[in-house]
Amino acid sequence: MDMKIESCRELIEEVIDTGLCTYCGACAGGCPYLVSFKDRIVLLDNCTISEGQCYQYCPRTHTDIDGISQQIFGAAYSEDELGAVKEVLTARSTDSHIRERAQYGGTVTTLLSLALEEGFIDCAILAKMSNDKIPGTFLARNKEEILQGAGTSYMAYPVLEALNQIPKDSTERLGIVATPCQALALSKMKKDPPQNRVNIENVKLVVGLFCTWALGLDKFHQFLSENLDLPQVIKFDSPPPPANRFDVYSKSGKLSFPLDEIRKFIMPTCTYCLDMTAEFADISVGSVEGIEGWNTVLVRTDAGVKLIELSKAKGELDTGHLPSQSLAHLKEAALLKKRRALKEIIKKTGDKKKLLYLGLQESIVDRLLA
Amino acid sequence: MASIELDAPGTMQLLLGNEAIARGALEAGIGFAASYPGTPASEIMDNLASIANDMGIHAEWSVNEKVALEAAAGASFAGIRAIASMKQNGLNVSSDFLINLAMTGIGKGLILVVADDPGAISSSNEQDSRNICKWIDIPLLEPGNTQEAKDMTKWAFELSEELDTICMVRSVNRIGHTRGNVKLGELPKKEQRAYFPNIWNKFEPMRSKFAAGPFPQLHNVLHQKLAKAEEKFESSPFNWYMGPDNVELLVITSGASTSCCTEAVKELKLEDKVGIFKLATTWPIPENLIEKQLSRSQKVLFVEEVDPFIERSVMELAANLPPDSPHLIFYGKRSGHIPSYGELNPDLVINAIANVMGIPYQARDINYDKEAQELSKAVPVRALNLCPGCPHRATFWAVKNAFQLDGRDGFICGDIGCYALGFAAGGYYQSRTMHAMGSGAGVANGLGNLRQFGFEQPVIAMCGDSTFFHATIPALINGVYNKSNFILLILDNSATAMTGFQPHPGTGMTGSGEPAISINIEALCRSLGANVEVCDPFDLKNTTATLLRLMTEEGGINVVIMRRECEMVRAKRKKKFPYVVHVDPDICIGEACGCDRVCTRVLQCPGLIWDKQAGKSKIDEAVCTGCGLCVDICPEGAIIKSPT
Repeated sequence: MDMKIESCRELIEEVIDTGLCTYCGACAGGCPYLVSFKDRIVLLDNCTISEGQCYQYCPRTHTDIDGISQQIFGAAYSEDELGAVKEVLTARSTDSHIRERAQYGGTVTTLLSLALEEGFIDCAILAKMSNDKIPGTFLARNKEEILQGAGTSYMAYPVLEALNQIPKDSTERLGIVATPCQALALSKMKKDPPQNRVNIENVKLVVGLFCTWALGLDKFHQFLSENLDLPQVIKFDSPPPPANRFDVYSKSGKLSFPLDEIRKFIMPTCTYCLDMTAEFADISVGSVEGIEGWNTVLVRTDAGVKLIELSKAKGELDTGHLPSQSLAHLKEAALLKKRRALKEIIKKTGDKKKLLYLGLQESIVDRLLA
Repeated sequence: MASIELDAPGTMQLLLGNEAIARGALEAGIGFAASYPGTPASEIMDNLASIANDMGIHAEWSVNEKVALEAAAGASFAGIRAIASMKQNGLNVSSDFLINLAMTGIGKGLILVVADDPGAISSSNEQDSRNICKWIDIPLLEPGNTQEAKDMTKWAFELSEELDTICMVRSVNRIGHTRGNVKLGELPKKEQRAYFPNIWNKFEPMRSKFAAGPFPQLHNVLHQKLAKAEEKFESSPFNWYMGPDNVELLVITSGASTSCCTEAVKELKLEDKVGIFKLATTWPIPENLIEKQLSRSQKVLFVEEVDPFIERSVMELAANLPPDSPHLIFYGKRSGHIPSYGELNPDLVINAIANVMGIPYQARDINYDKEAQELSKAVPVRALNLCPGCPHRATFWAVKNAFQLDGRDGFICGDIGCYALGFAAGGYYQSRTMHAMGSGAGVANGLGNLRQFGFEQPVIAMCGDSTFFHATIPALINGVYNKSNFILLILDNSATAMTGFQPHPGTGMTGSGEPAISINIEALCRSLGANVEVCDPFDLKNTTATLLRLMTEEGGINVVIMRRECEMVRAKRKKKFPYVVHVDPDICIGEACGCDRVCTRVLQCPGLIWDKQAGKSKIDEAVCTGCGLCVDICPEGAIIKSPT
């Protein structure tokens, strides 16, 4: 189903004002009007363009999931809970220096560094935290810089705004680490390439991150600064169930918050997200339930396969087989997220046929809800 | 500009109405003049101040009209003829003192010149200041042309002394700003000495005449003064009648409307059927003289601006005419023949007279008229805008962005000055209120004290440097004292720009060109306990960040002085532009940019235009002043600035 492209006014009415905005940044940075600020997308002036790229690439305006799957994978939307997958494995960096700084296994950092070294990309668009743990986007052009982006803040950040700000005539090949919503926006761009922006074909590598929810920057950061000496903090971690806590590692030790205390900072929009494993990335990376210091890796595209094989061949990654029980749990969790999200969407619209941004075949919806 | 001090009695000079008024004051031998800039009165003091040293008089730009009138009164008390001039709003500002002054009486001749702005061409309201004379019982004079502007002003001082009261001379745009031939009179040469004697009040021994009271006896005295004025007005040569003794229609008019009437009657060729009575001594109305005019016709048309002041006064009179008097039919604002708002023009008067007389009148060929109406629709509306290079444009841009980033629906409480344009496209529609001088901070006081009712919106009050001294200081003190929460932006462009760059207490110079203390605005505000910061509006990044920070801070009163010289003042002084700016036609890709013409459609600087043929934006070299602001706005970097 072809979407009708609307203006920024509809973007604000349908996505931003309704709380659907995931703060991915796809709409921002490409024009004088839409910018990100603190935890919001702000419209600085009224734009009269009737069909805006801001609306077109937003992952929360109508999204033709099948069309995008065709573009990225050459096939209709996969009904597999984990999306289109060529290979599932566990992995961790062989470089202890990377593992020290990493969230789990350091796989993302390793893959990006290798991609840079091998010339698959010239730079990577990443997020990193300041000393005060405020996230920010930056362009990394070497291994040391990529390492600065290791670890997650759990806060939603408009990384794609940085993509839109890259000079139009740039020929640098780009790698991006993306949350599921950001990967979806990138896929929309790949399907219908943007005008007046840097060539989307420059994006050679999308490394997706598993994501259950993201936290709203403004209020969460306020909470952090009220409860912690932020310059001392090294890492955040939300370990998988049944842990039910949010851990903060600082130079002086570890502090845990009950997860329920953190839940109130979850962006309301995450309720309506079906994608736990970043289904539209080249390679998706997450934790391994029950095994510390390793990553679960889902390889999805040829580009992803090429990079993984190279990283194994060059000895950059230790890899392994994901235990079947872990795989089963992962699929279960992914399916649960899809079901929950669909139910919430239908509750919100009151109509099974009106799925907000989801352009999903009815048969798939039925099967998921069954 | 030197013509008002020309010592050439009997010669004819081409003078602006305001110059004629100033000349009239000089011929009356004033020694003191005070004013505050305001259109259409400003040129009176512009002229007096320029010749003050030569002529040995004191002429000052006061900080506001109340002080101006008070200062002039002080001189009058001490035996020096004095004049205070102001626009209609200045009258409102000085009215408290004026009313009290009417009660006490004066020393030597004291004249208040009030210049009204019918049609509100350059004002925030439309008012007919004549009404105050009826309200507070002072004589009102309305000159009808440039000669009368001089002669009546001069005579007014004599009248003022004969009656021992301040008199008001009422001017309008078309008197003050019209040039006409004026026959000059003599300039007195005698020296003046000032001394303020102790004159006892005639009702209470040991009480100074000038210490207002006792009431209501003085009120009665005031009425007696008016009765005396009326006697004089009955035979004033400034009132005249033109036409046959008896006519089908009597037009009663005053002031600038007079020429509309004479032209209308001529155009309609009704000189033998329509008579015109022109009233110049408008209050108190000379009753016998009016009654005599009313006997000329049964139909009377009142033509005046803006209110039916004479119309109603005459109707009151007519109610008391003997019962066997012929029945009069009145036409004017009450009947709808003359509009009760806006400025008059000959066309309106022609239509009114033709209507009353039952004469068909076609101003021009019907087809031509139709075509002209159609064509007028094709003329694009010209938006009100700031000058190219104006620092206020940068201020409004920074405020707009700060408000959007803040996201709580902030707004500006606007004020009077060039930056009043905050309510229009040129100021990005940021001003949500705009009333009078100093009202920005005043209104902000209220809006900033509603937190107990859940109010969260950021409030910005705006004022200029001259406005700050005029009226904003008390509002600022109130904000600090009564614990309000707002940001006061003082747009310090080192000028009273809107009215013609007159000096003020911050510019370091007096009206007559002498160096003066320059009052340090930030020190003053700090002494009041406000947080004070200074920004250069052209440094958009820092200014926006400062505003955003202050908006989200705890609250209280924050003053930000936006300091950047007015471009007109700067250009005159420096005689060159800071940059040469041009749009690179190779980099600018026009509509294909996808920026929806942010440079012309949103920024709206008159120096940056859209070249329809080329489909790109372009600097209009005749207009651009090379400030470089637009350079940062273009997302493609197509606008280039090179230092001169």
